[in-house]
Amino acid sequence: MSVSRRGFLGAGAVVVGGVVAADRLRFLGPLTTPGPQDAAGSAAAATAAVYRTGHSNNCDGACGHLVHVVDGRVTMIGPAQFATTTISGAPAPTFHPRICARGLSQISNTYSPDRIKYPYKRVGPRGSGKWQRISWDEATSLIAEKFTATQAQYGKTSVWIAPYTGSLSLIEGVVGAGFRFASVIGASAGDSQGDNQGDSATPAGWNYVLVDPENPDNGGGFFDGHESVDFLNAKAIVFWANNVAETSIPDWRIMCDARDRNGTQLISVDPRFTPTSAACDRWLPIRPGSDTALIDGLINYVITHKLYDADYIRSYTVGPYLVDPRTKKWLRADAVIPGAKPDYVVYDESDGTIKAAGDPSVRTPAILGTYPAGGVSAGTAMQALADMARRYTPAYVEKLTDVPAAQVVSLGQLWGTVKPFAVRVGFGLSHWYHGDLHMQALLTLQAITGNIGVHGGGVTTFAGGLTTTAFDLFNWWNPTGTPYTVLEPMQFCDAVTKGEPYPVRAAWFMVDNFAQQMADRNRVVKAMKQLDFCVVSDYVLSATADIADLVLPACTYLEKTDLLSSNNFYLQYMPKIVDPLFESKSDLDAIRMVAEKMGVGQYFDKTPDEYLKQLLRLGRAEVDPTVDGLTWERLTSEAVHLNTDPMPYVPFFDKQFRTKSGKIEFYVEMLVPYGQQVCEHQEPIEASPHNPLYKKYPLVFLSTHTRFRTHSQYVNLPWLKEINNGGNGFLEINPKDAGPRGIRDGDVVRVFNDRGEMKVYARLTEAIKPGVVNCYQGGWDTIKVKHYVAGHPNNLTHQIANPAQSVIPNFPSNAAYFDCLAQVERA
Amino acid sequence: MAKKKEPTATPHRVMVIDTNRCVGCWTCAVACKEVNNEPLGFWWNRILTTAPNESTAAAAPASENIDVPRGEYPNLEMAYLPVACQHCTDAPCVKVCPVQATFRRDDGTILVDYERCIGCRYCMAACPYGVRIFNWGDASYAPGGTVGYGADYRSDGRLVFTPERPKGVVEKCTFCVERIDVGQQPFCVESCPVGARVFGDIDDPGSEVSQLVNEGGAVQLHPELGTGPNVYYVPVRKRVPRES
Repeated sequence: MSVSRRGFLGAGAVVVGGVVAADRLRFLGPLTTPGPQDAAGSAAAATAAVYRTGHSNNCDGACGHLVHVVDGRVTMIGPAQFATTTISGAPAPTFHPRICARGLSQISNTYSPDRIKYPYKRVGPRGSGKWQRISWDEATSLIAEKFTATQAQYGKTSVWIAPYTGSLSLIEGVVGAGFRFASVIGASAGDSQGDNQGDSATPAGWNYVLVDPENPDNGGGFFDGHESVDFLNAKAIVFWANNVAETSIPDWRIMCDARDRNGTQLISVDPRFTPTSAACDRWLPIRPGSDTALIDGLINYVITHKLYDADYIRSYTVGPYLVDPRTKKWLRADAVIPGAKPDYVVYDESDGTIKAAGDPSVRTPAILGTYPAGGVSAGTAMQALADMARRYTPAYVEKLTDVPAAQVVSLGQLWGTVKPFAVRVGFGLSHWYHGDLHMQALLTLQAITGNIGVHGGGVTTFAGGLTTTAFDLFNWWNPTGTPYTVLEPMQFCDAVTKGEPYPVRAAWFMVDNFAQQMADRNRVVKAMKQLDFCVVSDYVLSATADIADLVLPACTYLEKTDLLSSNNFYLQYMPKIVDPLFESKSDLDAIRMVAEKMGVGQYFDKTPDEYLKQLLRLGRAEVDPTVDGLTWERLTSEAVHLNTDPMPYVPFFDKQFRTKSGKIEFYVEMLVPYGQQVCEHQEPIEASPHNPLYKKYPLVFLSTHTRFRTHSQYVNLPWLKEINNGGNGFLEINPKDAGPRGIRDGDVVRVFNDRGEMKVYARLTEAIKPGVVNCYQGGWDTIKVKHYVAGHPNNLTHQIANPAQSVIPNFPSNAAYFDCLAQVERA
Repeated sequence: MAKKKEPTATPHRVMVIDTNRCVGCWTCAVACKEVNNEPLGFWWNRILTTAPNESTAAAAPASENIDVPRGEYPNLEMAYLPVACQHCTDAPCVKVCPVQATFRRDDGTILVDYERCIGCRYCMAACPYGVRIFNWGDASYAPGGTVGYGADYRSDGRLVFTPERPKGVVEKCTFCVERIDVGQQPFCVESCPVGARVFGDIDDPGSEVSQLVNEGGAVQLHPELGTGPNVYYVPVRKRVPRES
C-alpha cells in the first residue's frame, strides 16, 4: 500500500478511512460523512486525503469543493459544507450544497492536455503559434529587462499590468498580487473592481442613488447587495435580466425554497425564454435594452394608483425636497428662506409653508406637488419623477418594450401591493450603454415602494466578498504607500495606439483573456500587436496567449494557496492541494521572480498564508469587526461566515444612506448635466430601431452566458463539451428571422456588422425573441481551437463609452456588449 | 398508502425528483459521470428538455435540443426531465436477461453483475427508458478523469460496481449502491445544487420520499407500461396563469 506523501507530510490533510493523522485534523470539520472508499475497503481507501477548498470561479457562485487526493493526484471533487455559525458564534443560514457541472469538471481542467507546461518565448511572427521553450529564469529575466527598459524610455506607467477576473480569489485574482506588483514598480494597471469589461454600468447606477462619490469615506464608489439567503424573506422576486437558474445555479435553490416554503412569487424579465423564465411564475418578454421604459411604466402605475409608500418616501428618500425649476438642482434653504442655514427645502402640508428640510417644526412634508418658493414654482423631486413617468402608460410601455400592457399593469399592481419585494439583477443589464440608467430606475422604483434597506427587498447583483471591509486591500496593493496608476481596460487601445492618456508599450495579462473577451476585439488585437512586449500568464493557450511574446504556465486553483470570499459572506481558505503540474507556478511566485530581478523582491518575499494573515489583520487591534475573533486555525478548517449585522446581510439596514443628503437620492443632482436626474428611458446607443444603422443591421446581437463554461474557461473540458452541443458554438435565432434568410437548423451562418464578423452554426429556437439573436460568449477562437466556426461574438461588439458614469470614479463606463446590432446570412 | 414498517425490515428505496426545481443544469449527470467513472460518451443519467409534465424517455443524444422550448414566442413552456434507470419493481430488463446478470435487490435496486453479463443486450432492447449503455470497446476517459477513485464493490458477492467496466458489458445507474449501503446518499442527490432530488425509504411513512409520493402527487414515467418505476417525479405546478 502506498501512502500519500501529502496526506501525512503536507499541511492540513485528512486521511479518510484507515489511518487518520490525528494532528492534521484541520480539514475534518466540513467532512461529516466517510468517503465511499470505506465501504469498498480497498487499498485506495487508506490513502485518500480530503481537502476543503473554494472554487474561485468568476460565476460568483463561490462554491465549496471537497477534493479527494490519492498519491498526490486529485481523484474526485464533490460539494463541501459551509459553517452554520458566524465567527462570533451567531447562527448562519444553511448555504450548501453549492456545486455545478463546471465545478465537478475541475479535475479534467487541472489534468487537461491543454495545459501550458513550460514558459515559452515567441520565435515566429506575433500570432504565428511558433514557440520555443525557455527556463523560468530566462523568462523572468526577459520580463524584468523589458519592463525596466520600457519604463526608462516611456515612463513608469507605460507598463500595464492586467490582473483580471479569471479568479475571484484574493492573492491571485481580480484583487490580486498583480496590483501589488504594479504599485511597487510604479506601473499602470486595470481596475481592481474587475468590472470595466462589462460590469461597471449597473454599479455606477447604484452609486448615483445610494452613494456620494465625492465623500472620501466612500472611496470613489462601491457596490453591495443582499446576502443570497435574504431572498427567503421576499414575498416576490423579480429576476431582471438575470438567468440565475443557469448562471449561478446554487442560488436558484434559495429562490425555490422561498417559493416552496413561503409562497414567494418568482418573476422573470428577459428577452430570452431562459431556464429561469421557464421556472418563474411570470415571464415578461422584453425588447432588449428597453428596460428603463418598463420600469418607468411600473413607476407610473405605482404613482398614479397611489401605491407608493409615503412614510418611507418622507423618511428615507429625497422625494419631498423641492427642485429649482431653472437649474434642475436642489432648491437651497439659505437661498429662499431668510435666515435659514444651507439645507434642502420642503413644503409642509400641515401649515402650508416652505421650510428647511431639517426644521424641527416640519410635520408633513409634501411628497407631490409644486409650490411657490423664492419666487419660483418649485416641484418636489417625487413630482419630477411623476411628471417624467406620466407618459409611460401601459399602452406606451407596450409600444416601447413589446411587453403586453396587461403584464405591465399586473406587475405594477403586484409591486405596489406586495412587500417586501426583491430584485435580482444580472450583469447582462450592465452590458448596455444605459446600464447605469436601468439600475438607477430599478432603485427608484424600489425606493418609492419602500423596498431598500429592508429584509427581502433591495436590488442585488452580488453581495459581500471582496466588497467587505474585512480585508486590508490598501496595504496589500500599495506596500510602498504609492498606488499604481489606474488605466481601465476601456482606455487600453488608445493608450497603445495613440499614446492617450499616456503611452502603454508593455503589458502583462494574468487571469485575463483580454484579446478575446474584451469588446471590439479586432481593435483590441490590433492594439495588442503594437505593444513592444506582451506577457501572458495562463494555464491554457488562450487567444490572448496566442499573440504574446512570452507565455508563463500558471496554476489552477488546486495548485496554489489563496482565499475566496466572493458573492457571499463566507471565507473559504483555498489550500494548495496538489503540487503545481509540469513547470507551472502561481502568479505570486512568477511575480516574485520578476520583482527580485527588478530589485523589489522584498515586497514579495512572504508566503500566501502570511499575506492572508496581513490582509485579514488577524490578531491585530485594527481587525475589522466582520472578522473579529477569527483565528488562523478556524479560517483554515471551515468556511466561516463573517460577523454581519443584520443576518442575513442587508445593505443600508440602518437606513444611513451614503449620499450627500443621507437619503435615497432617486433624484440625482450630479446627473443634471446629462439630463439624467430622473430615470427617463433612453434608447440604446446602437441596438435601437431608431438607429439608422438598424436598416442595415436589423438584429440585436446578444452574447450571454451559458451554464457550461465561465466566460472563456472550461470550453475545452470533455464532459462539458459532450453536453454542450458537442463543443460547437451556436447562434440562437428565431424561425421567423431564419426563414426569410433561408437559414435552417444547423446551417453555418455569418454574423456581421461594420466592426467584424463570425461564423457559427444556427440553432433555430423559439426561446429567442424575433429580431434578436444570441451567441453564448467565451468559446475559444484560438490558433488551435475554433469553438465557433470562425471568430467570436466580440468581433462584433464595441467600446462606446457612456460619459455619465464618469461621475462615479470607481465605475467609469464599461463596454456595452449587448448594445449591438448585426445582420445574419447563410455562410 | 404507506404501510407501517418494522425498523429492521429492508428499506424500499426510491428516488423522487422535483421537476419544479430542476433547471436542467446537468450537475447530477456530471456528478454521476464523475463518481461512477463513466467513459467519454457515456451518460447513465441524462437531462431531457421537455414540456412540463411530459411523460417521456426518448433516448435522444444527450445534448440535442437542450433548452429549446415548446410553443411560439412568447407563448412558451419548458421543463427538464432527468432520466436514469427507473429501478422498476417489475423490471423488463430483469425478465429478459438470459443469465440473471441483471437482478433486483430486496431494497428495490436494480443492479448488473458485471461478472455475469454476457453482453447480449436483450436488456437494452427491453428497457422502455433507454437508460442502459453497452461497452462496445475499450473505454476512453476524460484526461485526469476520476482515475484512482472508487473501488470494486460487491453486493451478496456479486460485482455490481467496478471503476472500469470491462468491454462487452451493459452498465447503468446503480443508485450509487456502494454509497447507499453505508448510509450515504446517491451522489446525484448529494450534488444537486437546487435540492431537486430526494432519496429514501418509501415504506417509512415519515420519510420525505414517502410524503412526496403519497401526498405530493409524485408520478412515475410511463406508468401505463406497468413497470412500476421506483423513481418518481413531482409534477410542475402552475401557480399563476401565464399572461403572455
